[in-house]
Amino acid sequence: MPREAEISLNEREFIKQALQEQIRLDNRAFDAFRKLELTFGEEYGVADVQLGKTRVIARISIDVTTPLPERKFDGVFQIFTEFSPMASPAFEVGRPTDAEVILSRILEKAIRRSNALDTESLCIIAGLKCFALRADVHIIDHDGGLIDASCIAVMAALQHFRRPDVLVEGERATILSVREREPIPLSILHQPLCVTFSYFAEGEIFLVDANLAEEQVRNAEVIVTMNRHGEVCQIAKYGGVTVNPLAMLQCTNVALQKVKEMSKFIQQKLDEDAKRRDAGGLMAELSAENAR
Amino acid sequence: MAVPEVTLTHLNRADGSATYTHNGYSIIGAVNGPIEVSRRDEMPEEATLEVNVRPAVGVGSPKERHLESLLHNTLRSIILTRMMPRTLVQITLQVRSLPEEDEATGVNSTLTILPHLLHTSLLALLSASIPLLTTLTSLLIAVPTSSAPIISPTSTELLRAGPLQAVHVFAFAGDRRLLLNESDGAFSYDEWEEACEMAEEVCCSGGEGGVKLEGEGMDVDAQDGNLEEWLRGVVRRKVDWEQRWKKGT
Repeated sequence: MPREAEISLNEREFIKQALQEQIRLDNRAFDAFRKLELTFGEEYGVADVQLGKTRVIARISIDVTTPLPERKFDGVFQIFTEFSPMASPAFEVGRPTDAEVILSRILEKAIRRSNALDTESLCIIAGLKCFALRADVHIIDHDGGLIDASCIAVMAALQHFRRPDVLVEGERATILSVREREPIPLSILHQPLCVTFSYFAEGEIFLVDANLAEEQVRNAEVIVTMNRHGEVCQIAKYGGVTVNPLAMLQCTNVALQKVKEMSKFIQQKLDEDAKRRDAGGLMAELSAENAR
Repeated sequence: MAVPEVTLTHLNRADGSATYTHNGYSIIGAVNGPIEVSRRDEMPEEATLEVNVRPAVGVGSPKERHLESLLHNTLRSIILTRMMPRTLVQITLQVRSLPEEDEATGVNSTLTILPHLLHTSLLALLSASIPLLTTLTSLLIAVPTSSAPIISPTSTELLRAGPLQAVHVFAFAGDRRLLLNESDGAFSYDEWEEACEMAEEVCCSGGEGGVKLEGEGMDVDAQDGNLEEWLRGVVRRKVDWEQRWKKGT
């Protein structure tokens, strides 16, 4: 199992020096994201996100199970992130690296624990049957910014996904197939998105969306998750130097602006996709969705 | 028979990569190699081969392990492992999507996906320029009880074909040698041989196994669905693309 190729001392110094002179290697502004691309697959609930050279695919799938005994009215929602050697030869199957643990923890906090998805709507019969939703995150190409890209991918896939409708008669529940009833979208309460800030020079400089080389040089990262209404879902900082609280406030301001841009972008892509699917203009008539 | 669609070398990080789409199956393959091998897996005279198959949904199960061992054994026989001793060739295959009806067909899903995985891994190996002994082409043949065998069926065709008597997967090397055979169902030796000949017809090109002259095989892309011709077309386009600096404008 080879190790990740470490960045050389010269490169390290070069990047630091350049940052001191307000220049990034790819000539982006300090608070600029790389080019974001989002495509949806033929089926519902597959989102393919490209953030510069990083590429992440999220796929949502659904199943029917018994709800947990202590949460009878809730469905099950799980996010699975497993790195494969496709992204980097240093990732080994079945042996999670630190990056993988952090990624899954952040996604858990950002999306699951912030109640982005209304799990109560996944309940079919209380205590007996519920939907189990799972999100699989596949890292295809790795060039830094995995957390941001994965969060976008999962949120976009959740918004794109349609679950089959159910018919409940007393204790009997019938899952209606796609042919019988148009599947319905999930009830999403808000759309949290992550913005990762990388700190350099003892907390003097902060960068948005660092690429892999910058990630290897940075001395700390701060991950801010918020939705487009400006509600902060979580802030995580793993190790590194101490950071001025005012700088943190500055970060949340920048994050809000970025999150607004990204939410708008995702919505625009979702609308385009809905338009493409709605070929005959019959979607509104077919819809089985209940108004909230 | 529809010809598979391929994109080569589209990932930035891996040494070689390929995306392969055919009959609703979409697979992303990546190859890293030759790279440093762990002490435990190191072999003094040949390269270690590692195959990872990752399903679209969920984590790997015994089914994926079985596919990995089939792929491992087949690919070992075509990679020139002795040219790269004490190294590792790492192949990762990520299933991106399966046809919707895949589970409803009742056919063993290891068999239906196997040819696609073999093609993806070969293309990724070609893209990574790993030394190979030969190429391979692979095919699924379904034999229904009441009608003629179907070559490389889509899942809708499998659904419509009614009860199946047997399903075969064949893989052939460039020199028409049989590399792999996996069969499921009840069949006699004669029936198997018939299926094998049909598969060979589609997998291997009509020539004597030698390299065709340029000119006679020019329009290979618009062909009758011969898999070796298709493979040659893919490789020709790759070489053309890589040699474009030589040709000038």
